[in-house]
Amino acid sequence: MIRVVSIPKAVIAGLLGAVVMEITLAAASLTRFASIDLVREISISAIPNSTVAANALAIAVHLSIGICWAVFYAFFVWGRIHARPAIQGLIFAIVPASLAILVVYPELALMRLHVDVVRLGTTSFFAPLSAATIGTLVVAHALFGVTVGAIYRKPVGYASDHRPSLPAPRRRAEQRHRRETHSGFMFATGIECSYPTIDQGRWRRDEMDSTRHYSRWQRDFELAREIGITHIRYGPPLHLTFEGPGKYNWDYCDPQLEELRDVGPEPIIDLCHFGLPSWLGNFQNPEIADALAQYAGAFAERYPWVRFYTPVNEMYVCARMSALDGIWNEQLRDEGAYARAAWNLANASIAMSDAILKRRSDVIFINSESSEFYQPCCPDPNVRKAAAAANERRFLPLDLIYAHELSEGMHQLLCEQGIASDKIKQLAQRKVPRRSILGVDYYEWNERLIDRHGDPLALGELFGWYVIANQYWERYRRPMMHTETNKPDADGAPRWLWRQWHNVQLLHRAGVPLVGFTWYSLTDQIDWSIAMSDAIGIVYPVGLFDLNREARTVGIAYKQLIDLYRDEPDYRACRTLQEMMH
Amino acid sequence: MASFLAVQGYDPGPSQRPLLAGAVSGILATIPAVPILVLSGALRVESTILGLSTIMTLIIGCAAMALAGAIYARTFGRTANNVHGGWLFGMAFGFGLWSAGAVLVLPVVSGGRAPAGAAALGVALSLLVWGLATGILVPFVHRPFHESLEKAARHSHLGPNAAADKQQPIREQRQQDKG
Repeated sequence: MIRVVSIPKAVIAGLLGAVVMEITLAAASLTRFASIDLVREISISAIPNSTVAANALAIAVHLSIGICWAVFYAFFVWGRIHARPAIQGLIFAIVPASLAILVVYPELALMRLHVDVVRLGTTSFFAPLSAATIGTLVVAHALFGVTVGAIYRKPVGYASDHRPSLPAPRRRAEQRHRRETHSGFMFATGIECSYPTIDQGRWRRDEMDSTRHYSRWQRDFELAREIGITHIRYGPPLHLTFEGPGKYNWDYCDPQLEELRDVGPEPIIDLCHFGLPSWLGNFQNPEIADALAQYAGAFAERYPWVRFYTPVNEMYVCARMSALDGIWNEQLRDEGAYARAAWNLANASIAMSDAILKRRSDVIFINSESSEFYQPCCPDPNVRKAAAAANERRFLPLDLIYAHELSEGMHQLLCEQGIASDKIKQLAQRKVPRRSILGVDYYEWNERLIDRHGDPLALGELFGWYVIANQYWERYRRPMMHTETNKPDADGAPRWLWRQWHNVQLLHRAGVPLVGFTWYSLTDQIDWSIAMSDAIGIVYPVGLFDLNREARTVGIAYKQLIDLYRDEPDYRACRTLQEMMH
Repeated sequence: MASFLAVQGYDPGPSQRPLLAGAVSGILATIPAVPILVLSGALRVESTILGLSTIMTLIIGCAAMALAGAIYARTFGRTANNVHGGWLFGMAFGFGLWSAGAVLVLPVVSGGRAPAGAAALGVALSLLVWGLATGILVPFVHRPFHESLEKAARHSHLGPNAAADKQQPIREQRQQDKG
C-alpha cells in the first residue's frame, strides 16, 4: 500500500467534480460555443432506440470516469503539492486534460465513424480538435480538478467527537496457549497506536484506525506469532475506551485482549500514548493524573491477567510535541508549558502505577522513553548552554518518576510554573516500584547537533544506542529494554535491525541488565514522516509487515534474528526478568 | 509517481513472486476482455490489420497480456498487492497500454491503419476491462505463490551479515594482498 486513501471521500469528490464538468460541457453546448459530448453521441449510436437509456449510460460513464480520476488523485497527488487543496486539484487536472486532448477525444471521434479501419496520420488524428473544443476541455477539466481538490482532504483520522467502528469480532484462534511464565529475553514488536489531536483538538489522529488494525487485528497478532515475537507493545485506544469519569467502553479492546490472553504474544499494555480523551482536554490539565489513575485501576481490574504495563509512553516526546513544538494536543510553543505537561505526565504515570499495584502487586512496569542526546557544534558558550538545557530537558519526566534529583534548571522551571518545592521533593523521596524497567527507544534522529544558532540538527547514528542508552543506565541504574527502533527505508532496514541488535548485545555483555529488544512496529505507520502534524495519509514504511500485511525484508530478518538467538542460554532464560517475575 | 512507489521499496521482497503472479493474473484477465473484442468486432479488425488469423491473433494477444501482467506486477511491486487500490492501478495500466499500444504502436506497425467505429471502442474497452481485472486479481493471485516466512528467513543476505557495510572493499584488499 502506498497511501491510505478515503475511498468514500474520493467517490464523493469525483462525483461532484464530474457533475460540475457535465454542467460546464452542457453550458458550452447550449451557448453553441463547442459541442463535445462524444460519449453521449456514442451511447446514442450504441443504443439507437432509447435516448433516455443512452443518456443514462453516458452520464454513468462520465460519473465513473470522474470517480476513477478522483481516486487516482487521492492516491498519487493529494498532499504531494505544497498548495491549498483546491490548487492541488487544479494542478492535478493537467493530467486528465492532457490525456483528454491528446488521446481520448481524437479516439472518441474515431469511434463514431461507421467504418472498421481507417488510415491515420498525425493531422487526421487530431483533426477533430478545434480551438473552442480544446478551450472547453481545459476549462471543464480545471473545474473538475478544483472541485475534487476542494472536497477531498483529511483522508485519515476523524473529527474529535466521532467514534470509529468497533473492532472486528474475534474468530476462533489457533489451538495454542500463551506461556504465562515466560521469562526469556523479550523479542518484541508493537502495534502503533498513537492518538493525539491536531487542529486545536478538532481532529483526532488514530493510528490503529489508519493502519486498519481495528479490522485486521487478529491477522496482526497471527503475523507477530509467525515470526516468533514473544511480547507485543499494545495500546488500547484511551480516547475511545475512557468515555468519562467512571465510564468505560471496553468494546474497543475486549476481543483483542482476549486473544492476547489466550494465545499471545504477551502484551505490554500501553495505557496513554500521546493523547487524551477529548473530555479531559490536554496535557496542561493538572487533573489528568487522578483521572488516568482511575482508568488504570479499572483496566487492571478488568484484565487482571495482564502482567506488563507502560503507564505513559514517551513522556518527554509527548510533552515536547504538545507543548514545545506546537504539533499535537494543546499545540503550545512554550518552555513553561513543556514543564507543566512533563509534570502532569509524570504524575499521571506515578498515579497510574500506584492504582495498578493496588489491584495486582507483581506487575512489571516498562517505562518507555525516547533516548535523546544533544551535542554542541562548537565551544561557543551559548551553544553549549543550549545543548546543556536540551540535555536537562530530556531527563525531566524520567527524573520525576524515578525519584532522581532534578537539575537546577529544571527545578527552577517547575517552580516558575507554580509547582511547590514540597511537591517536587515529595516525588524525589518516593519509593520507585521494584519491578520497573527503563525502556529506551532509539531512532537515527535521536542524536542531535546544536548548531551556531541554537537549533537542533539530526546527527544520524553518531554515538549509537550503546553510548546513549548507557547514559540512561548511569543515571537511573534500572534494568533496561530497547523498546523502540525502526528505519524508514524499506531496503536498508535489515542492516539497521542487526546493528541495533549488536548494540544490545554489547551493552548486555558490559553488565547492563537488559531484558528485551523491540522493532517498532509490526506494520507500517501513517504520517510519521511529518510527525502526524497533518492528516495526509502517507505510508511510513517501517513495519515488519506492510499495510497489506506482506512481510517486509526487515520482518524476515527479524525472524532470522529471533530463530538464531531465542534458544541461546543467555536469552532462553533472562536472569533479570526471572528475578522480576518471581 | 516513481518516487512515491520507491518509498515502499521497488523490491517486493524475497518472499514474493510478482512476475509469476502478474503473468497468471494477466492471462486470467483476458477472460472478460476477449468477449468484448469478439462482440465489438475488434478481434476480427485487429487480425485483418495485422494480417494474422483470428486464432493466432488471440494466442499472441494472450501471450502479450501475460507479459503485460508480469510487467505490471513487477513495476508496481508491493503497490499491486493493495486490494483497495489494485483495481485503479490496473485500470490505469490498461489505459496506458491502450494509449501506447492501440493508439500509437499499432498504427505505426500496420502502416497507419487503425481500428475505427465499434472496433476502436471494443479495443479501448477490452484493455480497460483487462487492466481492471488484472488489478483486482493480483492481490489475490500472488498469495498462493508466496514463499513461506520459514523458507524466506533462510535468505542469507538478511541474516547477521546484513549489519556490515558493503564488504567489497575488504575483499578487494584481500585480493590485492594475495596478488
